[in-house]
Amino acid sequence: MLDYNVFHTIAWPGAYAWYFFVIGISVALFFFSALSWFREEFQPLRKSGFYLSFVLLVVGGLLLISDLSQPMRFLNMINPAYLKFDSPLAWGSLNLITFGIASVVYLFFMNKGDDGLAKKAAVIGALLGLGLPIYTGFDLTVHQHRPVWNTPLMPVLFVALSLLSGAAVASFLAKGNEKLMVMLRRFMLWAGGATAAMLISLLGTTAYGGSAAEITFMFMTSGTMGMIFIGLGMLVGLAAPIALLLAPVGRQPMGVMAAGVLLLVGGMALRYAILIGPQIVHTYY
Amino acid sequence: MSEELRMSPRETRGKAGLRRYGMVIDLRRCIGCDACMVACKAEYDVPLGVFRTWVPYRVVGKYPTVKKQFLPRLCNHCDDPPCVRACPVGATYKVEDGGFVLQHYDRCIGCKACMASCPYNARFMLPEHRTRTNITSVVDKCTFCYHRVIQGLVPACVQTCVGRARVFGDMNDPNSEVSQLVARHATQTLRPEQGTKPQVFYIGADRNMTEYGRNIYDASPEQDDERAVFNRNHKV
Ligand code: SF4
Ligand code: SF4
Repeated sequence: MLDYNVFHTIAWPGAYAWYFFVIGISVALFFFSALSWFREEFQPLRKSGFYLSFVLLVVGGLLLISDLSQPMRFLNMINPAYLKFDSPLAWGSLNLITFGIASVVYLFFMNKGDDGLAKKAAVIGALLGLGLPIYTGFDLTVHQHRPVWNTPLMPVLFVALSLLSGAAVASFLAKGNEKLMVMLRRFMLWAGGATAAMLISLLGTTAYGGSAAEITFMFMTSGTMGMIFIGLGMLVGLAAPIALLLAPVGRQPMGVMAAGVLLLVGGMALRYAILIGPQIVHTYY
Repeated sequence: MSEELRMSPRETRGKAGLRRYGMVIDLRRCIGCDACMVACKAEYDVPLGVFRTWVPYRVVGKYPTVKKQFLPRLCNHCDDPPCVRACPVGATYKVEDGGFVLQHYDRCIGCKACMASCPYNARFMLPEHRTRTNITSVVDKCTFCYHRVIQGLVPACVQTCVGRARVFGDMNDPNSEVSQLVARHATQTLRPEQGTKPQVFYIGADRNMTEYGRNIYDASPEQDDERAVFNRNHKV
């Protein structure tokens, strides 16, 4: 029997996942650059990591603006007459801007050779940077009626994903430096393990949630979305690289870089699936 | 001892001296003619494919006792609207006297946070090109016909409703028809668990319509076909 239903579009399209991806990498690379002031192993990433972080920050900002249906009005976000502080998005835009400012200050002192001030700017920048993946997750968490999004796991998950994708990109910048590769491998393993644990508990709680959560579980684990989330995201992009890193070849720079490639594929797939999957059920309501 | 009702700062229902417009939809009287959808489209030149109000139906029961259940939908002009909270630039706001949730079209940046946060799909993105108005590429929704109501008229959908299923009025006025209907009948609101305090009340709503049904996942071929056509015409 034919029911009549009006369908609705999903609110946030897949393009937003690219922003999540790019900004996550940018923040992690900044973090590694900042870490170089405290851990000698990260020294090779101080400049190269930071420069790439800065480029990705600019790309991420432009992606975010181009995702608005009124891109030129992005200035409204920093107009004090309009800005509304009970919206998480308002905090996010301020976080992004302050991170950008901290990056410029860091660049300035680093190039001037003022190590003391550069180190301070690095710490402040890293803390502001940490805010960005937290805010990405928070931005999803606050939508109280969306299964998967509305869990306190989201901000932590996005921090872990940011470290994962960032370590993956950093492994290409490391130019085979043994000591750095050892550290990056550790980052990949810890962040990867944390991501896997979070995803498994997320799947469990979603499968046993209310009807909306259950249907979301079905949508996310079957069909094309299932291929992206489970296949590309969890198996190819997370389980496989962790297994690779644990194998003897995973201790070689080439092995770490190969794992990095898989992690990048997985990082993008997971962000896309987590963004889009939980919106599907609502398009039928 | 009764505890004082705690209200959010945006709430207008129950606040003395303020009007709080609401709608009661008596589903026993709705015949599913869709005249309200048409009246709304005509009132606002609502573009193809999007709706400020819409009337889905579901066929329930088994032959010979089948029945078509209608559930006219629109923005609930929630008393605690997540869409207002989500907007980073104050482009969506709640009118203090009347409770309308409205849009500043010239301020909206199109971030769609309000669309993501509305539990009722009441919001949609306007297309880039429209023939009769230059309000484009911003988010739009039902206004409870603010422009009509402030002139003492009822919303276009209420005016046109042939079954007189839609009733509109001030919930803060105990003598209004809507207050009386809500006082005398068992009413339902959509997704009350979301804490949004919707101001559209239904009489006789069927749970098959108000909740997510599992048939969404296991959709009929017809629904899948319709969905495919929809997806083709929208950037999903
Ligand atoms: S129904 Fe949706 S758009 Fe309307 S006030 Fe409530 S949350 Fe906002
Ligand atoms: S799309 Fe417009 S109205 Fe909606 S939250 Fe963004 S700026 Fe506000």
